[in-house]
Amino acid sequence: MTGQILVVEDEEHLARGLKFNLEAEGYKTEVAGDGETALNLLLEQRAAFDLLVLDVMLPGKDGFTVASELRQANHYIPLLMLTARGRPEDVLKGFAAGADDYLPKPFDLKILLARIQSLLRRREWSRVLVNDAPSESRVAESRSGDLLREFDVYAFSGKQVDFATLELRANGKIFRLTLMEAEFLRHLIRNCGKIVSRRQILEEVWGLHEDTDTRAIDNFIVRLRKYIETDPSKPQHLLTVRGVGYRFLPKPTGGN
Amino acid sequence: MRITSRKRTIAFAVTLGVLVAAVALALNISWIVLNWREVVPLFIGVLFFGFIIAGVILNTIFLVREVRRNEQQDSFLNAVTHELKTPITSIRLYLETLQQRQLDETQRREFYQVMLQDTQRLMGTVDQVLRAARVTQKNAIFHKSEIDVGPLIQDAVELARSRHHLPPDAVTWDLDGKPAEPLSVAGDREELSAVLSNVLDNAVKYSPKDPQIHVDVVTPDLEHVQIKVQDNGIGIPSGELKRVFKRFYRVLSPATQQVKGSGLGLFIVRAITRRHGGRTWAESEGAGKGTTVTIELPRYQQ
Repeated sequence: MTGQILVVEDEEHLARGLKFNLEAEGYKTEVAGDGETALNLLLEQRAAFDLLVLDVMLPGKDGFTVASELRQANHYIPLLMLTARGRPEDVLKGFAAGADDYLPKPFDLKILLARIQSLLRRREWSRVLVNDAPSESRVAESRSGDLLREFDVYAFSGKQVDFATLELRANGKIFRLTLMEAEFLRHLIRNCGKIVSRRQILEEVWGLHEDTDTRAIDNFIVRLRKYIETDPSKPQHLLTVRGVGYRFLPKPTGGN
Repeated sequence: MRITSRKRTIAFAVTLGVLVAAVALALNISWIVLNWREVVPLFIGVLFFGFIIAGVILNTIFLVREVRRNEQQDSFLNAVTHELKTPITSIRLYLETLQQRQLDETQRREFYQVMLQDTQRLMGTVDQVLRAARVTQKNAIFHKSEIDVGPLIQDAVELARSRHHLPPDAVTWDLDGKPAEPLSVAGDREELSAVLSNVLDNAVKYSPKDPQIHVDVVTPDLEHVQIKVQDNGIGIPSGELKRVFKRFYRVLSPATQQVKGSGLGLFIVRAITRRHGGRTWAESEGAGKGTTVTIELPRYQQ
């Protein structure tokens, strides 16, 4: 299995040992020495990684903070937390902060590798679910709604979304989407032209039921507009329908 | 999470203490008002209420102190857990790598080197914890003998340079390599080396990437020798200069959060120096302006 892994570990020996082993398994591996660097790589530079191995006791921001900041920014990279603190309350704190898996130090190398593999495999599965489309409609043009039920690549006004690789090409740039960003966009595209309510989005994309903070959706919209729209303050594709929800339009409406 | 709940505990204890003291004070005043004509009950009553109020205040102070100490012990446990588990994790990782993978000779050598360094680090932590426990024991045994300060410092300086991979000009001292008049103290060589290496380690740890550390030997009078270790590090706020010698105590600031420590180093330094009949203190112009730690020991008397 291949994948790009970011290891956040300040202990040089451990970082080197982990990198060596992960590379020996065929993963591309990078090391960040502290939480700030990792957050910068993932959120600011939007570097493409498939998995994050995160130590808890880091200089400056600790692993719990890094994890929750990532999740707050809706970054859903699979996250394995690695720590010397193995008490149940620490484990729970790790999961609450947004870890997908938690491994206390000292760990068994084989178990670490197996857990990494399982996290990556799950990511692969969810990708397969995203693009379990019939092959003839691989590229769907934005014409008929029914054709768009499932698709791998969707193109509209010179922009292209690839749901298999989670890449979005727009304005001559390639953006990498998180799984949730892609799912959200896919849901809007599926209902192209129709108004989609926030509640519907929460239920159908996230599987959440009401009462959840709907700000999360606004953050997603802001980010997606940044990718798609030429001028994010005057959206042409992702329109807000005040008090109701959002609407996706494949072609600019012309006059507003 | 745990820290905020501690703060709440402290706030609760203080509020309760103040309330009880206020009630006692109110009762005291009404007692005075009611009995102001009769001298004996008035005197006894005021005395009693005075005791109660003093007791409540003392109790509150001790409680708050105990909670604080608990907190420091907690962070000490965290730090030591980390310091013990990290090298073990590393050694295990490298051993498993050696066991499970085909490696060439250079890689194998490199891994052995890494593991050796980890065992050293482990040993250092274990030594530090054991030493902290030992120096507080009343019947701790010190093997005192006449020790020449020059070679003692020379060894400590060289050890610090090699341990932190520093160039010779990062850690300087007056008599570097030069022969000097013997200046001796009565002490336990091993314990005194531990004192110096703790102070030097701190100087390196709490300094920027290229530290400038200077060791000086001063004789203020005929009876004492002072070893001064000066660094260009993050400094110590004036309110914390004494507290840093307390067991488990660590200054809380963004700069110190970058540094890992158990809060034992200066505690050990002070305990050993005291056992030798000496004193130790820290001076700093403030945050970011470096620190000077002075160890004063009595001179060897024939």
